[in-house]
Amino acid sequence: MRILLVEPDAQLAKTYARVLHDDGHEIVAAKTAQSAIHAADAHQPQLVLLEMQLVSHSGIEFLYEFRSYDDWQNIPVIILSIVPPGEFSGNRELLEQALGVVGYYYKPHTTLADLRKLVTKVTIGT
Amino acid sequence: MGHRTRTPAASGVSEQLLLAVAEQMKLPFLQVARLAEAGQLRNTTETLQDIQTTADAALRLLDNYLFGARLSLEGQYALELEPVSVSSVLYDTGHELDKLAKLYGVDLELSFAGKFGPVMANRQGLQSALISLGYTLIEALPSLQSKDLRLQLAAHRCRYGIVAGLYTDVEQLTADALRAGRRLHGNSRQPLATLTHSSGAGVFVADAILHAMDSELTPTRHHKLFGLGTVLKPNPQIQLI
Repeated sequence: MRILLVEPDAQLAKTYARVLHDDGHEIVAAKTAQSAIHAADAHQPQLVLLEMQLVSHSGIEFLYEFRSYDDWQNIPVIILSIVPPGEFSGNRELLEQALGVVGYYYKPHTTLADLRKLVTKVTIGT
Repeated sequence: MGHRTRTPAASGVSEQLLLAVAEQMKLPFLQVARLAEAGQLRNTTETLQDIQTTADAALRLLDNYLFGARLSLEGQYALELEPVSVSSVLYDTGHELDKLAKLYGVDLELSFAGKFGPVMANRQGLQSALISLGYTLIEALPSLQSKDLRLQLAAHRCRYGIVAGLYTDVEQLTADALRAGRRLHGNSRQPLATLTHSSGAGVFVADAILHAMDSELTPTRHHKLFGLGTVLKPNPQIQLI
């Protein structure tokens, strides 16, 4: 599966990419919302892993932009963020229904093993 | 150390600083945890070096944060100023930040525009402020529009004294960004949203330490680079000579 990893921290991006690559996935990494849109255009990802706290533009802004293109309406997005999901509890409907987020995971509580399972689950479902 | 009066506002500032520091410290812990797990999953020891560098940098950073937070919490203290060599402080700061910079693929450089006599500062305070600031910038640079991932520790003369700071080719290091960050500090988990994806605690710790030296963090330029630094006054006794 071709995965767009939107992760601003260089260290974490490298670690996530290595492990997912070992599982046979193709990883396209982007550190900002803007570069993520360019990367999506160039590589047509099948899954997006998204951090909400980015530089300049937030993950929400990225999602609005991403979903505004017809080609990317149905690509699953998993949020893997340093921002606790509780802070978005009021926007759950918006994230899930309007912006097509299939899961919100808090990074400090999500191990690499958890992440691999999540990605496998999405891979089987698509 | 001299005495100052603690005000309710000062207490609020320290709480904001502690929140930012706590938020910031999640990142190195997260990096270490995931690196360790990756090492186990991939059955390799190649992540061990990165774990050590990340943990060492986090421990040093924590010391600098504690220094700033303690000043802010205790409120009544001001740092004693003494004649300090700026070049020597910048050199030691570079040494402290070197491994972390390498880990993030950032080139660290020293640049002195001329020779400087001693300035009035608190050596430990100045170095802690620059290390805290450096940590934030190193971590932020890869996700900014930096062309060459270069961070310069530099000093130059200005009308009011010597400016010591950290500089990059990133245009987002502006007075507006710093002003907005100070305004949002304590109310937002990402007050310097145009500069860093983290809480930017290093910037606010540097600010707190510099305040205790009767100085402040200020946006500044060095040659064509953009940066944050502080203006230090030359030692008056040396000037008389």
